[in-house]
Amino acid sequence: MSDYKKTIGIEIHCELNSNTKIFSNSINGYGKTANSNVNVVDLGYPGVLPTLNMEVIRLALKAALILNCEINKEMHFDRKNYFYPDNPKNYQITQLETPIGVNGWVEIEVNGQKKKIRIHDIHIEEDTCKSIHYKHHSFLDFNRAGVPLVEIVTEADITSSEEAMAYVEKLRELFLYADVSDCKIEEGSMRCDVNISISKTDEWGTRAEIKNIGSISNVGRAIEREAIRQEELIENGGSVVFATYRYDEKEDKTIMMRVKEAGNDYRYFPEPDIPFVVIDDNFIEDVRKSIPMLASERREKYVLAGISELNANKIIQNRSLSNYLNRFLDKDIDLVVASNLLLGDIAGYLNKTGALIDNTKLNDEKFITVVTKLSKGDINSKVFKDILDDLMESDSSVDEIISSKGIKIISDPNELKNIISTILSNNENSVNDYKSGNERAIKFLMGQIMKETKGSANPELVNKLLLEELNK
Amino acid sequence: MSDKLTREEVLHVARLARIELNEEEIEKYQVQLKTLFNEVDKIKNVELKSDNKLIAPVMHTTKLREDVAGEMLEPEEIMKNVPVSNGNFVEVPVMINE
Amino acid sequence: MSKYLDLSIKEINELLKKKEIKPIDLVNEAFERIEANSNLNAFITLDKERAIEKAKSLEEKCVDNILFGIPIAVKDNIVTKDLRTTCASHILDNFIPIYDATVVEMINDKNMIIIGKTNMDEFAMGSTSQTSYFGAPKNPWDTTKISGGSSGGSAVAVSSRMVPLALGSDTGGSIRQPSSYCGIVGMKPTYGRVSRYGLVAFGSSLDQIGPMTRNVYENALLLNAICGRDDKDLTSSYEEVVDFTSKIGESISGMKIAIPNYFVSDIVSSEVKEKLDNVVSLLKENGALVDYIDIDYIENAVTLYQIIGMGEASSNLARFDGVRYGYSVNDPSSIDELYCKTRGEGFGEEVKRRIMVGSYLLSGSNADVYYTKALQIRNGIRESFKEAFEKYDLIIGPNATTTAYNLGEGLDDPLKTFLDDVLVFPANMAGLPGMNVPMGFGEGHLPIGLQIIGNSFDEVTMYKLASFIEEKLGLELDPREVK
Repeated sequence: MSDYKKTIGIEIHCELNSNTKIFSNSINGYGKTANSNVNVVDLGYPGVLPTLNMEVIRLALKAALILNCEINKEMHFDRKNYFYPDNPKNYQITQLETPIGVNGWVEIEVNGQKKKIRIHDIHIEEDTCKSIHYKHHSFLDFNRAGVPLVEIVTEADITSSEEAMAYVEKLRELFLYADVSDCKIEEGSMRCDVNISISKTDEWGTRAEIKNIGSISNVGRAIEREAIRQEELIENGGSVVFATYRYDEKEDKTIMMRVKEAGNDYRYFPEPDIPFVVIDDNFIEDVRKSIPMLASERREKYVLAGISELNANKIIQNRSLSNYLNRFLDKDIDLVVASNLLLGDIAGYLNKTGALIDNTKLNDEKFITVVTKLSKGDINSKVFKDILDDLMESDSSVDEIISSKGIKIISDPNELKNIISTILSNNENSVNDYKSGNERAIKFLMGQIMKETKGSANPELVNKLLLEELNK
Repeated sequence: MSDKLTREEVLHVARLARIELNEEEIEKYQVQLKTLFNEVDKIKNVELKSDNKLIAPVMHTTKLREDVAGEMLEPEEIMKNVPVSNGNFVEVPVMINE
Repeated sequence: MSKYLDLSIKEINELLKKKEIKPIDLVNEAFERIEANSNLNAFITLDKERAIEKAKSLEEKCVDNILFGIPIAVKDNIVTKDLRTTCASHILDNFIPIYDATVVEMINDKNMIIIGKTNMDEFAMGSTSQTSYFGAPKNPWDTTKISGGSSGGSAVAVSSRMVPLALGSDTGGSIRQPSSYCGIVGMKPTYGRVSRYGLVAFGSSLDQIGPMTRNVYENALLLNAICGRDDKDLTSSYEEVVDFTSKIGESISGMKIAIPNYFVSDIVSSEVKEKLDNVVSLLKENGALVDYIDIDYIENAVTLYQIIGMGEASSNLARFDGVRYGYSVNDPSSIDELYCKTRGEGFGEEVKRRIMVGSYLLSGSNADVYYTKALQIRNGIRESFKEAFEKYDLIIGPNATTTAYNLGEGLDDPLKTFLDDVLVFPANMAGLPGMNVPMGFGEGHLPIGLQIIGNSFDEVTMYKLASFIEEKLGLELDPREVK
């Protein structure tokens, strides 16, 4: 273990889920055709002026509230001036002086340890256009120009790659749940820049910035590789240069892109084209109320209901299933059975058909009935599989579906006893095996009984009766 | 105090502004920019009564726009004014530093 | 040759209504006059074909407003769809906009007829119109003199009676000062009165479009037609739009008028002061009160204008980079070459100078030293004006320290262009409306103009005073009559 401490800060850009762009009313979406979701404002035409999308302010405010930020109730925008072909006006409208939220925090958990990562600020800005490079030329598509972004800047509170990954995952989960952003890191709707320095003392070392890391696991790897690179450099008498890097996944190393110019070169000044934006308390309250139950709260409730942590996390990753399950949190049903169904056969059905659970015929009443039957053993999982399509697609009740399929559930002990006797007399070897201490024989016998009943027997009852017979 | 900027000082501001200057211009701007820099330096001697700023003389606050899509341009219309285009794309020399 | 364009707009309107003339008669006459005065270099681009077409199409329509069918000239930094808009710069000399400025839409809605785009200083940076890539316009009162600027072409077109109406823009006096030099009426409305959407930005917090006309009444008519809230410009105001002609002709008795001491200090020439004194006497004789007052920081307006104007300009003009529109250097080998050569070759000397200074002022710690402080002083100026308007109805003074000077003068002095406009900057700094109304002639029979500064959104009171002065002085303002 190295005796260098890592100091890490993370900047994350998230595209916001609005219909239109931040400063123009063209569509926020990646059009099929290049330069088709564009108007004169997005192109930075001479004479154009920005307007400001209400939904963007609403979503950014939601994000700021989720991150426990103080809200700048009177905010303005600033211009960040730099020349680059993906920056249509050669200035970007952003927030420097009055970011929408400041002084927030996010709680993460690593190896059972909880930790608060402080948020320096969250601010609103516009995205640049997309560029494709081929040989000696670059090709610009302005569809992305003006897409709304929030940038979330942490304090340098993160000390390990595990914490960094947990933070990014947490932020993703929060924004996804609150419908702030798609947070598709692989597709670029969430982008991650990591600042990292190492030091043996309390004084920070020179930091390197690793830009635009393409996945959460790469965030961890990039930090590990960069820390090793810096340590080797220092140990060999070198020193870290203040520079921008990218992480190359194939080579598993960080590669320098450019040395950072010293000082502020962005010539920031307040944007005169957008008057002050005032966020009043009513607006804040409205937005606060629109925030749904967040993932951490859901996880707590699921685990409390006995669902395994693994399955709880799996459900949380699928927001529509999680929302569905939440409808039964206060109902008297076995949530473990319910969650197993949702993650198993129901998820399989949804994948196969491409349907959303809310668009199926599996209403609350049917779901409660079917979960109750399963947990009581009135039906078994094979029967459930047989009736699944009808549950999802037909208006009939659970009982109607079961009887229309000709499925009979054998719960009559006398009927079962007869079947068991027949099986036992036909399989004397297995009975002897059991009696001589081979417990596995019982599984074989169970299988034979279920086969005989075509799976329509109540398995718990069969098990109980079988043991009674064998131990006679 | 010199009455002109150094060559390097002129080239630095020209670089900030992404403007290429020829030799004649560099010489001329060494004097002219210095004159203007001296002029704006007068602000340093102004005493302030308050530190409130006026970004723009606007007394109302921003009216936010409804999130409803409006008209967009056809790519062909955009390309009419583009100096170098390639299909539906705007073409530039390869962007380094990416 | 017909002389319909010498009639007042009211008279033209009557003739149109009675069908004694058609809009095409006005259009033809405007082009005849422009061609006969081509030496004045008032226009960069004419829109003859479309103007004739529009005039003909109007023959079918009802004459529904007083500006119906009236020819108008538009400054070439206001974008016009499908009509070349150059900002008098090489970098846009082939630029065809694909949208209309809001004011252009409003003009079209009123069925005025756009004749062409007027000459100006490149990107409105200058006080003489001599920085135009297309050569300077000439003053109709004396063609060896400058027209003033930056809206020089609009001032010349109206002054020489080529068109009765023109639009200009005013970032630091660019409507008022050429109006003063050319003897016409020009109004820079309150910041926010007229939408800036489609005005190629120079100093975003200073720019304002306004009317330039032969007389006060017609000026008010044109302002009526172009102002109002525009959702495309967030800085455009919600203030109620009143009929700006409504107080024209009212008595000025009891009006309280202030003159900043700075406006009559040594910087102003004696012949200009003399004309101002005449006006003061006239006002007093007619029952107005005139006081001399101090406005805080007014003497710093030049410095503020330089810092805020050039700072904003350096950012606003960054978009001219040869990528999406406009001039672009051939076959650049790198992005840097594309930028630096396009901008080096595309911009003229004054524009380059201002962009460089603006970039310097905003770079690194300079932003605080210069820009932030300028915004603080700017607030102080505005506060001081606000106090003055608690006591006074209007503030007056000259618009220019002298009359129009010789073409070619002062081109190598980077400060002259700013010092020319020392009296007009304060209104832009405070966002207040300011106007020019002619108040006499100086040596060589060159026009001298009175500046009237009003309280925010109180243009109607300014027109009241301006029309009073216009009527009492009764000056002959048609340069053709004097020759």
